[in-house]
Amino acid sequence: MAAAGLPASTSGAVSSVRRFLAQNGLIGVLLIMPLAFAFHDLRTEGDLSRLGNNLVDGLSNGSIWALVAIGYTLVYGIVELINFAHGEVFMLGSFVSVSFFSTIGLTVATGIPGLVAGLLLTLLVTMFALGTLNTMIERVAYRPLRNAPKLAPLITAVGFSFILLNVGLLWRGGSQRSIPNLIDSQALLVSIAGVNITRGDLLAIAVTIPLVLGMTIFISRSRLGKAMRATAQDPDAARLMGINVDTTISATFMIGGLLAGAAGLIYALYQTTIWFFQGFTAGLIAFTAAVMGGIGNIRGAVLGGLIIGFIQQLSDNRIGSQWTPAVVFAYLVLIMVFKPSGLLGEQTREAG
Amino acid sequence: MNRAIPIGMLLSALAIGVAACGDDDDTASSGDTSGAPAGGTLTVYSSLPLQGAARPQTTDLVNGIKLALKQAGNKAGPFTIKYESKDDSSAQAGQWTAEQVSANARSAAQDDSVVAVIGEFNSGASAISIPILSEAKVPQISPANTAVGLTSDAPGADKGEPTKYYPSGYRNYVRIVPKDTIQGAALATIMKKDGCEKVAMANDKEVYGAGLARNIEIAAKAQSLNLAFNQGIDPKAANYRSVASRAKSQGADCFVYAGITSNNGVQIYKDFEAALPNAKLYGPDGVAEAAFFDPKEGGVPAKVAQKVKLTVATLSPDSYGEVGNKFFADYEKEYGEKNPNPYSIYGYEAMSLALDAIERSGTGTREDIVKALFATKDRESPLGTYSIDENGDTTLTDYGVYEIKDGEQVFLETVKADV
Repeated sequence: MAAAGLPASTSGAVSSVRRFLAQNGLIGVLLIMPLAFAFHDLRTEGDLSRLGNNLVDGLSNGSIWALVAIGYTLVYGIVELINFAHGEVFMLGSFVSVSFFSTIGLTVATGIPGLVAGLLLTLLVTMFALGTLNTMIERVAYRPLRNAPKLAPLITAVGFSFILLNVGLLWRGGSQRSIPNLIDSQALLVSIAGVNITRGDLLAIAVTIPLVLGMTIFISRSRLGKAMRATAQDPDAARLMGINVDTTISATFMIGGLLAGAAGLIYALYQTTIWFFQGFTAGLIAFTAAVMGGIGNIRGAVLGGLIIGFIQQLSDNRIGSQWTPAVVFAYLVLIMVFKPSGLLGEQTREAG
Repeated sequence: MNRAIPIGMLLSALAIGVAACGDDDDTASSGDTSGAPAGGTLTVYSSLPLQGAARPQTTDLVNGIKLALKQAGNKAGPFTIKYESKDDSSAQAGQWTAEQVSANARSAAQDDSVVAVIGEFNSGASAISIPILSEAKVPQISPANTAVGLTSDAPGADKGEPTKYYPSGYRNYVRIVPKDTIQGAALATIMKKDGCEKVAMANDKEVYGAGLARNIEIAAKAQSLNLAFNQGIDPKAANYRSVASRAKSQGADCFVYAGITSNNGVQIYKDFEAALPNAKLYGPDGVAEAAFFDPKEGGVPAKVAQKVKLTVATLSPDSYGEVGNKFFADYEKEYGEKNPNPYSIYGYEAMSLALDAIERSGTGTREDIVKALFATKDRESPLGTYSIDENGDTTLTDYGVYEIKDGEQVFLETVKADV
């Protein structure tokens, strides 16, 4: 009897370890890198300022990815379509904003009041322009295929992605172009315990947080937001309840475009380099962020964007820029293994 | 399923149709030159990136090629020479692409009238075209490649270089710019001279960038110049702030990038300048182009550009001597441009060397031209007097150091590299 008890208790221990891993493994996975680096910094440098700087850079870079990721996740949530053209919409956001602020005469010499007013105007114009563009894309390329097999809109999305990519290419040529550094993006704003916060960091965070908060409130409280959620859950039932599904879907694309426009402007001001291919890279990262956070979930997209921002900066700083894409996707694989539906994943119509 | 079959057939029929059109175009463009060696008309190709960041350089390079041919009256000895300029880049990539490079090389290899190829501009591209051209024994003259491994296994070459580029063992490739052993040493020499204590280095991981970075490492060690790190970068990254902040935390006071502009060169200099505002910045010929240093062309802002020193295997127009000065006068007369891009002179010399070798070969066959190229001795050229050694390298070693003023590349000094 005693001999028989041993395997039983071992298997009990194994299963409890398994249970523990299943519940907390994900958090462990996410914390491996920062904790290891924190330990390393404390041992070699005696403080955490290096890690702090990595995290601040990650936060600002991640905010931009988050804004783009929301566009993917919103559209997926409501029509279950991966809108491949979204990255290119973001790229055009950068192009439109740069052209607009150059046209209204903003330069590095413009005074602060003029700059703030001009950039706010640029933000509004860009958001409106890209929101309209995204809505039009939906009208032309996705709506006619609403009842077609799933692959049809997927391929028109890929098609639109390439069309917009080439619009960007024709517009500003094939190489990266430096643009006027209007806000002196990397100028130090404040340094707290060795952690430097630059103007670019402030801009990225200050524009992203209100936008994300505003949108979350809009979706949870407003009539249209409720209609969006209803459509996401069950379009047919929503239609029966008197919701205009087409308008609701158009509105979703509008919101995605607005945010992509905002992200485009922030990206241009933050990086000060734009090129036609930025949307492809950003689209891939943002889509990864959306999947990592749980596609269809807005908070998940933001979380995913921020996590990717952190991983990228940590890897750039410690492991090497050449490995960064590999590290990001290794994290994605790990997270998916532990939680196939993503960090804050919800059930989608497809998944049940 | 039933519907899918006709669509599939339609698609493949379309594909065949498109391929057939492509064939038609090819024969149309080269048809009037085929079977030429016997008839006395020979063709010289150039394969260069005519789109993207390198465009201003290659435009002047092609002008130089055309000028040389024009001055020779389209003749090399008894042969009439036809010139065709091929593009090895795509608008999408903004730089050379492997597909385009190999397509150009194959079309040169298959067209019997082609007896010389001038190219490629980028070392990474030549790594692709050399094996194809070597197999077909087509003489190749590069006006711009500097990667060591293309011609020899000298320090800085990668494992298996250069034999992997010549699968049949036939050496067909010569170049008229000094290899990166010398550029690496030149960069290390000026950094040492400028008082750099600790150098942060980034490379774009291409044949050229990674190879040059190895050469800088070797030269730095020889000259006891301290390197903080040599970091390969992801050329599609949005920025390199955290790479730069690593250099800052390691106390770097100089930065050098071994790579080309179209691999995010502008962004990396901006980020390192921001992180290390007092650092001196250095770059190789890969970034010596308006797309990098002229803000009007989308290059780095003047604030960054004024801190950059560039090494290019071209010298000040004044240091070229009589033959060189004649070239600049002729170029101005032909194109109305007083200060052409330094690469115009390499284009001119590449074509002149090709014509000279065709004439010296006597027969105008590919193999005899290759022999004549390798037999080049004490050739007087606008670049100075040089020979081609047994590896196909030039014996020239001088590098020019340039700085940037008002969006222009201005000659500073000639550096005798401490190899």
